[in-house]
Amino acid sequence: MRTLLAFLAIAVAGCATVRQPELGGPAPLPAPLPEPAARTENLAIAGLLDGARADAASGRLVNAAASLERALRIEPRNPRLWQELARVRLKQGDYAQAESTAARSNSWAGSDSALRAENWRLIAHAREARGDAEGAKGALEAAERQR
Amino acid sequence: MFDRAKFWRYTRYTVLTVALLAAGFTLYLDFRVRSEFEGRRFALPARIYARPLELHAGLHIAQIDVVRELQEAGYGQGPREGDSGWFANDNDWLEVAVRPFVFWDGLQPAKRVRVAFDGGAVKAVQDAEGRELPLARLEPLAIGGIYPANNEDRVLVRLSEVPKQMVQALIATEDRNFYAHHGFDLRGIARAAFSFLRLKGLQGGSTLTQQLVKNFFLTPERTLSRKVTELFMAVLLEIHYDKDEILETYFNEIYLGQDRDRAIHGVGLASLFYFGKTVEHLTLAESALLVGMVKGPAFYDPFRNPERALERRNLVLRETKDRGFATMEEYSKARAADLGVSQKAAMGTSPHPAFLDLVHRQLRRDYDEADLRSEGLRVFTTLAPRVQTAAERALERKIAQFDRGKIFGEPGLEGAVVVTDTQSGEVQALVGGRDVRFRGFNRALDAARPVGSLLKPAIYLTALADPAHYTLVTPIDDGPFVWKSRGAPDWEPTNYDKTFHGAVPLRSALAHSYNAATARLGTDIGVEKVLATIKRLGIEREMQPYASTLLGAVDLSPLEVAQMYQTIASGGFRTPLRAIREVTTQDGRPLKRYALAVEQAFAPEPMYLITAAMQGVVREGTAQSLKNWVPLETAVAGKTGTTTEQRDAWFAGFTGDRLGIVWIGYDDNRAARLSGAGAALPVWGEMMAALAPEPLALPKPDGIENVLIDPESGLRADFACPGAVELPFALGSAPAERAPCASALGAAVEGVKQQAKSWMQRLFGR
Repeated sequence: MRTLLAFLAIAVAGCATVRQPELGGPAPLPAPLPEPAARTENLAIAGLLDGARADAASGRLVNAAASLERALRIEPRNPRLWQELARVRLKQGDYAQAESTAARSNSWAGSDSALRAENWRLIAHAREARGDAEGAKGALEAAERQR
Repeated sequence: MFDRAKFWRYTRYTVLTVALLAAGFTLYLDFRVRSEFEGRRFALPARIYARPLELHAGLHIAQIDVVRELQEAGYGQGPREGDSGWFANDNDWLEVAVRPFVFWDGLQPAKRVRVAFDGGAVKAVQDAEGRELPLARLEPLAIGGIYPANNEDRVLVRLSEVPKQMVQALIATEDRNFYAHHGFDLRGIARAAFSFLRLKGLQGGSTLTQQLVKNFFLTPERTLSRKVTELFMAVLLEIHYDKDEILETYFNEIYLGQDRDRAIHGVGLASLFYFGKTVEHLTLAESALLVGMVKGPAFYDPFRNPERALERRNLVLRETKDRGFATMEEYSKARAADLGVSQKAAMGTSPHPAFLDLVHRQLRRDYDEADLRSEGLRVFTTLAPRVQTAAERALERKIAQFDRGKIFGEPGLEGAVVVTDTQSGEVQALVGGRDVRFRGFNRALDAARPVGSLLKPAIYLTALADPAHYTLVTPIDDGPFVWKSRGAPDWEPTNYDKTFHGAVPLRSALAHSYNAATARLGTDIGVEKVLATIKRLGIEREMQPYASTLLGAVDLSPLEVAQMYQTIASGGFRTPLRAIREVTTQDGRPLKRYALAVEQAFAPEPMYLITAAMQGVVREGTAQSLKNWVPLETAVAGKTGTTTEQRDAWFAGFTGDRLGIVWIGYDDNRAARLSGAGAALPVWGEMMAALAPEPLALPKPDGIENVLIDPESGLRADFACPGAVELPFALGSAPAERAPCASALGAAVEGVKQQAKSWMQRLFGR
């Protein structure tokens, strides 16, 4: 099996070396990133997320956080839920939690660079609010690097 | 000589004194009646709930597990139209009439839910009209309370909630002239006096008011003076309060049975306890059963003495009919009904005392003990009943097996289990000893025992956080090792198998738990540095900076170990273990929420590496036997622990969704002759196997790359190397040198691959 994979690798690599000169000119534009899905496939999560956003918008931050935690019990690896929770923590003025929750979101973000960039911006906000201008700057740079 | 004047004077004085004393006594009683009756609010225990089950499409749970939880909550099988608290099911469907319940976020009214199952998972959730429901939250199981000193439990009701016929049945049976008398009933007293004179002792004849006074203010002895006091106080009570106030208090006070150490008081709780429904939904027959039990809850216990209870109930029904409170038709229908009580497992003050103990301790940080025992707080916890049951069963069964095999006399082998959610740090189950219903020494919290090799991951983590010096394949010398320090005897750790293994790759030293290699690694890095890692993992206990600490000469409780492994299981995010989600007042006003909190304590890369190494422990190391319970694909990460002379057997491990810690040993520290893999691991395996664990798949951090390694040489391998394994490395830390087995062709391919990679990087900018 492993041998087969290795041969496949050679084949693919071979193609690459052949095709490389054709594209060797100007650096190609990066492929456009897919728009982040507004709703997840799980209806339960979608419902809780909507509820949490409505609560957060009208200032019921504790309820918003509770709904997000409920959603996280269903999908603990959903980086969007962690990010939303980080946003609520920021609104609550809990900057330390906002930062670490955004970092938690990053740990599940995989290759979703838009999501990561947003997390870094949240971290920048949190750091700035805590008076850590230097740290905020670093976080914004990290957000830029995600592209 | 008889002095008439003097005689009358003395008589007058005597009469006056008696009258004054009587008046004083009456005043004193009046004061007591008013102050205590008025001031007395029933002490209500804090009520503790498990986590509610939240059903949604895709949830992995078998129908039988949902049904079991409903039954535990007192839901009956078979539809009862117009009522809630029942379920009906066939193979694929489950219909539940969910009772109304006040959650932390408000009242959830009664509702019908239809759930479709497909194998071991929920396929769809609908309402009664067949519309899809995103999420259906069931009523949480009550798992106990924090009770007043005498373990009195009650649920308060208003008189208006008590069915009219229950009131009538009570009056017909216990006190026919209740609405007419002034606290005592002459005919009743005459009857009592008559039986007293016939030497049958003092009995009966008490009005409801007298019964209330007796329960409320007095001791249960039966003397004449007490009877007189009771009568006085009953009259005073009637002067100050109206009949409805007295009745309502009576219905809430009355003692109606015993559930192990918990005393069932009041018709509110009795309805739930015996019938699984609230008092306003009781039928005439059910009401009559409770009224009949007033006379002697133990004697007429419908569980233990069903025939006696039935006879008594029917007597109450006849009295009710004879007094004109029930029609002939109602009477015959009620008489024909069976007892209708739903037998549940005895719960006592809690079926899971060890978990409750943890909840109680966490509550005490924020609340007064007196408030916890009297204010009727409602506490929503993280206990997952299914997980708790699996943990209890596995521990009970395995300990019984080990005890049979190894006779070491009394007291027998003990154990403890902690299970948490890897992501949220919620404690889902906690077992404090082999007798899982026993309230007492809670080993999960209070048994600090040497942890042995359970500390090793902290040493390897410290090493792997320094990729310039240590990777999973770095050779570590497992030769004889002596540690000399001033003022302490030489320390010469030996291996479990009594041999030394020479140079071994770092990951194998952990997988096989080699002591000499680990001691050498730990002292090379520095004990202080390792202790700092342990602290960062969440251990607050101070540890001695001795080299022997490295091999686990440290006492920790299973809960502390859980906190430490939690940080690893959640990828380096320290999350305080929590047993409570929310607390509300008695009427549902939110008081406090215990929010999810995370803190990044480690970079993701070393956590990824240590987790991979711990997966190696299960795949090819000391915990290999786990495959007998949990399939290899689950990729469990774990560590066994066995202390000197095998006094303590440990296993700590996590899957994608749960972390479990198991300890087995003797309370008196006898040598158990059981190893972590031999004793603690089987408990863990059996428990997790019952819970269909999610596979462990950590997200690969940016700073990690997988490299094919030849296990023989620990060098870079390729397809030509038999048995090569793919291992994670911090970027740039993998060995550059190629293994002897790697082919020349392989080198060429490698070169091409590198080229392709740089091309891909240019294309996608990453």
